[in-house]
Amino acid sequence: MNPEELFGKKILYRRLMGLSIFSLLVLLLPIVIRDDYHLELLFLCHYYVILACSWDLLTGFTGNVNFGHAFFIGGAGFAGALLNMHFGLGYWWTIPIGGVVAALCGLVVGSFTLRLRGPYFAAVTFCFATLLYKWIMIRYDIFGGEEGLPGIDWLMDTAFGNYYFSGIFMMAVVYFLYFLSKSPFGLILRSIGENETASEGSGINTTYYKIAAFVISAFIAGMAGAMYGHAQMHVGPEMAHDALSALVLMMAVVGGMGSIIGPIIGAYLLTLVNESLRFMGEFRLLIYSSAVVMVILFAPKGLLDIITRRFRNVLGQER
Amino acid sequence: MDTWINILVLGAIWGSLYSLIAVGFTLIFGVAGIINLSHGAFYMLGAYLAYTFMTLLKIHVLPAALMAVAGTALIGMLIDRYGIRPMRERHVYVLIITLAFAWFFQELMYAFYGPHGKHVKSFITGDIILGNVPVSYQKLLTFFVSGTLVTLLWFFIKKTRTGKSISAVAQNRDAAVYMGIQPERVYLITMGISAALAAVAGVFIAPILEAVPTMWVFPLFKGFAVVIIGGLGSIEGAIIAGMLLGYSETLVSVLISANYPDMVYLVAIIVVLVLRPRGLLGKRAH
Repeated sequence: MNPEELFGKKILYRRLMGLSIFSLLVLLLPIVIRDDYHLELLFLCHYYVILACSWDLLTGFTGNVNFGHAFFIGGAGFAGALLNMHFGLGYWWTIPIGGVVAALCGLVVGSFTLRLRGPYFAAVTFCFATLLYKWIMIRYDIFGGEEGLPGIDWLMDTAFGNYYFSGIFMMAVVYFLYFLSKSPFGLILRSIGENETASEGSGINTTYYKIAAFVISAFIAGMAGAMYGHAQMHVGPEMAHDALSALVLMMAVVGGMGSIIGPIIGAYLLTLVNESLRFMGEFRLLIYSSAVVMVILFAPKGLLDIITRRFRNVLGQER
Repeated sequence: MDTWINILVLGAIWGSLYSLIAVGFTLIFGVAGIINLSHGAFYMLGAYLAYTFMTLLKIHVLPAALMAVAGTALIGMLIDRYGIRPMRERHVYVLIITLAFAWFFQELMYAFYGPHGKHVKSFITGDIILGNVPVSYQKLLTFFVSGTLVTLLWFFIKKTRTGKSISAVAQNRDAAVYMGIQPERVYLITMGISAALAAVAGVFIAPILEAVPTMWVFPLFKGFAVVIIGGLGSIEGAIIAGMLLGYSETLVSVLISANYPDMVYLVAIIVVLVLRPRGLLGKRAH
């Protein structure tokens, strides 16, 4: 079926217009914001947008909760770092290679586990991420243990450069995922999320599509992880820690799963709120976590759902 | 010889604790069909409430332990009533809201008590010597309490009226409704029992290990591992798999290296899920 018929041309164009305005903002923001601190902060926003959107492709669309996104982020981060330090490969090599490594991991893990549904899949993804974390800690001679690996080549020379590199990367990912989600492929993923048995009954090989979504999601997360390592000039075990997986998950949920646009809102909001609460000192994370609990309790479909409901006549009918 | 006595004793103690944690986890899954990621947080709350009542407020051990367990059960029931009930049918949201609550409690404990471990005095002091291996009475007490509670739970489910209504809802929710059972009430009671069992494990672990804000993660996933190995929803499976995991971890840590016991449960989950997804005694295969 032609997706435009299903979603309606008008909404597709309105949402695209929203995305275009967003990308224009991302490109023009450095005119106003010039100090390194805020540019670094926005770099982090871009990084988390990439992670949350890539996570959303599998979980938001098909409903298989991936609790181990950090497996790909940390795995690719360390792969890129080791390649950079031992073989002197630049970021033009390490970022794609990191992505490919993560995608291969995704293929292996996915083909073993995506036959399983629901909680089982969540448990296995968590296990793989934790195994990687433990391995990093045990083989500190290779991975540097608690301290990680310092001294990776800079991504760009300035925070300004990092901002644009990550911004353009983020826009590419967002547009790619947006069009993917509106394509027949995205439609199939959505149908798996709505009712997997029914999709199987209509002759769709659901496992194949779930694995494909998982591999794409892993590839993007891996590239982001390798990029992050270059930008910080350091990779650490916290990149493979379950706290990162949980953070990415919360961002996507707070924004609104299964929409690509929701995770963007969630990632920006949580990164900026987390940073702006710094003056609260030790109560920062308490306030932050209780805010997240409140959002999930009162807006279980995410903030995007509330926004679209409020401005339905402006934005057009949902889906 | 001493090594083997050590393995035998430590394995039994950890195994019984894992069983105690996993039984509550598997109960709430079997009855309400939800994966409760706050389960580890109940264990943590048990330990911290024990610390609060015993060390800070200096209440006598027994009432303090009972209050810690009751308090955690109450929190569990509140989470069930206000967090889970509105969206019980949506598994993804239940997973996420319970994870969010666990995170919230971690930060709450962090804000109240700081990142450092809080130690609780042993309930009873002294050691018993088995062979040449000293075993503290505290650990023996933990073993006996866990064993007794798990057995009591089994009798409760099989013999009492409330227990039978719990297993009725677990078997067939709709049929239970026709028999005049209110499923939401059963879910609430089950959550309370499940939280209380996790809290007991926490209360007894507080003197052996320490109470730290991040202590909820590993029991949660060890409990998860035990439940997956034993079969989701099967109480007997959880008990057997809990003992198995306790012994295999002790074997690995004593005979190979103290670095690796945490790997055991992770590898076990993966192997079981790939080879036999329904677990040792599980009935339902997804």
